[in-house]
Amino acid sequence: MFRTCDITGFKVDLRSEKLIRYNAVFAVISLLLAVTAAILLVFTRYQPVHLLGAEWYYRLVTFHGLNALIFWIIFFEIAGLYFGSTVVLNTKFCAPKLGWIAFALMVAGLVLSNIIILMGKADVMLTSYTPLKAHPLYYLGIILFAVGALLAVVLFFGNLMIARRDKTYGDTMPLFTYGLMTAAIIAVITLASGALIYIPTFLWSLGLIDNIDPAMYKLIWWGLGHSSQQINVAAMVSIWYMVSFLSVGGTSINERVSRSAFVLYILFICLASAHHLLTDPGVSSAWKVWNTSYAMYLAVLASMIHAFAVPSSFESAQRRWGYNKGLFQWLSKAPWGNPAFSSIILAVIGFGFIGGTTGVIFGMEQTNIIVHNTIAIPGHFKGTVVIGTTLTFMGITYYLIPLIFRRKIVGFGWAKWQPWMFFIGIALLSISMIVLGQMGVPRRHWDSSFSGGPFTYNFNPAVDFFWALMMLGGTLAFLSTVIWILIVVISVFFGPKVNGPADMQLAISPPAPEAKSHKGFEAPGTLALTVIFLLVFLALFFLNWKWLAATWNVN
Amino acid sequence: MSLFSPAEGWYYKKVSKDEKMWMMVALVLCIMLFVWMVMWHVYGKQNPSSITYRTSTAEFSKLSEAYTRQYMVGSDNGIPVVRPEPNSDVFVMGEMWRWSPVLILQKDQSYKFHISSRDLVHGYSIQPVNMNFQVYPGYDYVLEFKPTESGEYKVICNEFCGIGHHTMIGKIVVIEEEADLKAYGYENFKKAPGPALEKKNEPLSETEMALLGEQVYTLKGCGACHKTDGSSQIAPPWNGLFGKEEEVIENGKKISIKVDEAYIKESIKNPQQKITVGFENTPMPVFPVTDDEIDQLIAYIKTLKD
Repeated sequence: MFRTCDITGFKVDLRSEKLIRYNAVFAVISLLLAVTAAILLVFTRYQPVHLLGAEWYYRLVTFHGLNALIFWIIFFEIAGLYFGSTVVLNTKFCAPKLGWIAFALMVAGLVLSNIIILMGKADVMLTSYTPLKAHPLYYLGIILFAVGALLAVVLFFGNLMIARRDKTYGDTMPLFTYGLMTAAIIAVITLASGALIYIPTFLWSLGLIDNIDPAMYKLIWWGLGHSSQQINVAAMVSIWYMVSFLSVGGTSINERVSRSAFVLYILFICLASAHHLLTDPGVSSAWKVWNTSYAMYLAVLASMIHAFAVPSSFESAQRRWGYNKGLFQWLSKAPWGNPAFSSIILAVIGFGFIGGTTGVIFGMEQTNIIVHNTIAIPGHFKGTVVIGTTLTFMGITYYLIPLIFRRKIVGFGWAKWQPWMFFIGIALLSISMIVLGQMGVPRRHWDSSFSGGPFTYNFNPAVDFFWALMMLGGTLAFLSTVIWILIVVISVFFGPKVNGPADMQLAISPPAPEAKSHKGFEAPGTLALTVIFLLVFLALFFLNWKWLAATWNVN
Repeated sequence: MSLFSPAEGWYYKKVSKDEKMWMMVALVLCIMLFVWMVMWHVYGKQNPSSITYRTSTAEFSKLSEAYTRQYMVGSDNGIPVVRPEPNSDVFVMGEMWRWSPVLILQKDQSYKFHISSRDLVHGYSIQPVNMNFQVYPGYDYVLEFKPTESGEYKVICNEFCGIGHHTMIGKIVVIEEEADLKAYGYENFKKAPGPALEKKNEPLSETEMALLGEQVYTLKGCGACHKTDGSSQIAPPWNGLFGKEEEVIENGKKISIKVDEAYIKESIKNPQQKITVGFENTPMPVFPVTDDEIDQLIAYIKTLKD
């Protein structure tokens, strides 16, 4: 039932390993579906090509959203949860049969929803705001998927209980698994919101319920839609800590701080639904201000704490290895040839500077007026969930291929620059979308020349430049995703077998040596980087408020 | 170490100086952001309103239609134009796929907008000033706008509302003085003569009927889909329609019919009965129109030649 890993020394439950593999494979399939749609969408919005007709444009926006934001991410996270709760804890999988039932439910949900969308029975966008109505089987597909995912999360907790009972790890749960546990707790809250809204909506689509109030729908739907992104954040940050350990032998310079930050996520992240109701009727300003700020920004505080704790874990380890010169030698002498390492560093930078800054600014009650429903919003979450989560997942896969699939990476040279290409592509895409949105360009809109309308509108002529940049970025990101998928698929199915540590292309670092006691700063380079981040944030902050102040007055 | 239990004593390890500094800075920033939003309500001039009324699509339709009928001064591309008094209530209806009415506003004057939707959720996005609000059916959102610059503004819909979403675009004109109206071709727009026409006892002439029909066309929003210039992106155009041979689908079978009074009446009352070939994906909803209004619409359609 177990094998002992000849590279890491972990006891691996073979039944768990198989589940991890299958969930990961379906994650990759979902990603392929998502990016195929994405490239068609990019070339539709890029007006000189305007590839798809209106019908297929909206259909594929729905398809892309569901496959990218739900199927790809959650399949991967389930694989991660199984990994973190069995392999890392040296324990067995509590109920493999239920694991397969969960998997089957999720696959059934994926197939059903996607077929209904492609048949043209659910052109409702991922958000499916009522009274827009999709075919009942579309909602049923999502419910099946969510039930499967919820079951998988329950199994994760089952594994934790067994590990705790059998004392398979020391006194304290490893930080990586602790972070995943945070993700799992948020997942339960999120999936409960999902059930709360999708089940009545399903009944409504069958005609059993008369009316689903659109404002109520939006409030609860975003309890699923936004909070689920915080599952990603927690999972992603956990992987950041793990890669710090694997690549340079680093660890959080103060685990109590890192763990407290995870707890802040659990406590406050569920208020995030408010971010989507800031310019809506129905809720008061007091409600908006309190909730959109996660009760005075305590969840943002958590991310800011990680923003220091993650890079400092790299820096502190590197300094202990002797790369101690100046502020940034730890960074210049880092293992850049390790694609997992470069992915994670780029993800941290992209997530912080693009996704994080815009997320906080766009999520403030009043500044939301100038970006709500513009293309700046998907621009923002390309900066969180794509450049952050997806790039992180891509990066960690470079470790999973040899360790879990036991194959060497085919095309390792390509793997080294794939993260860079992806980073540049998504950064271009995301920043151009944010700029376009600031100029008023709407999201989910087939024709920005308004053909067939009673009037027309010409955006600021600068949009043409940013549309071109967005198209370029989208193409780069698409190509690098295809490269990543090819590397993964070819390695997993045709790669040479891994027979021991000698076959590892990515180094696994031993833990960094103990620090000699020293006074002063533990991570001055990181502190400098966070100060730069702060200045960028403040610049964007005041710019946005200045733009807001230049609009009409509204009360 | 993130894959193993942390070293003994981890819980009591002192937080390093730089991490402590950063956490303090972060905490101060967080509190500042919160206070900033609250203070903007006191000192800032752009705050989304908290005023919402429960309504129903039928009730708000009636309200906004009565409002537009009373204050309409003309029409622009099939959409009624209203020039509200400063500080008055303005009723704006979003529907698939138009914003009605077009508004003429005075710079630096306040207007209390009531915005709602007849069907789906819409997004009220004023450009190029770039202000965006959400519009629901069943909720009357009250936003008090005060335009601070004159010029021509467009209102685009930025919440997906079906296949014709991209055609949903409205207009607001902000003027400083009367002479500005000329730039928009609105200089002759005057307060409408009122509904005197309908109160006559003798039967109306065809011309009078057609004029009333045009008003119905504008008020009810037929023009959102049915154009009179021959373009046909969403629905058959009305010019040259009357008397034309049309291919339609009835009960799944393709048949050919001649457009006459009976066919138009049926198409308005029961739009799914016969669907014109080529427009299967944009089904027409049922609108609340009276028999008299249908007769007026038919009279209007008859006057529209190719």
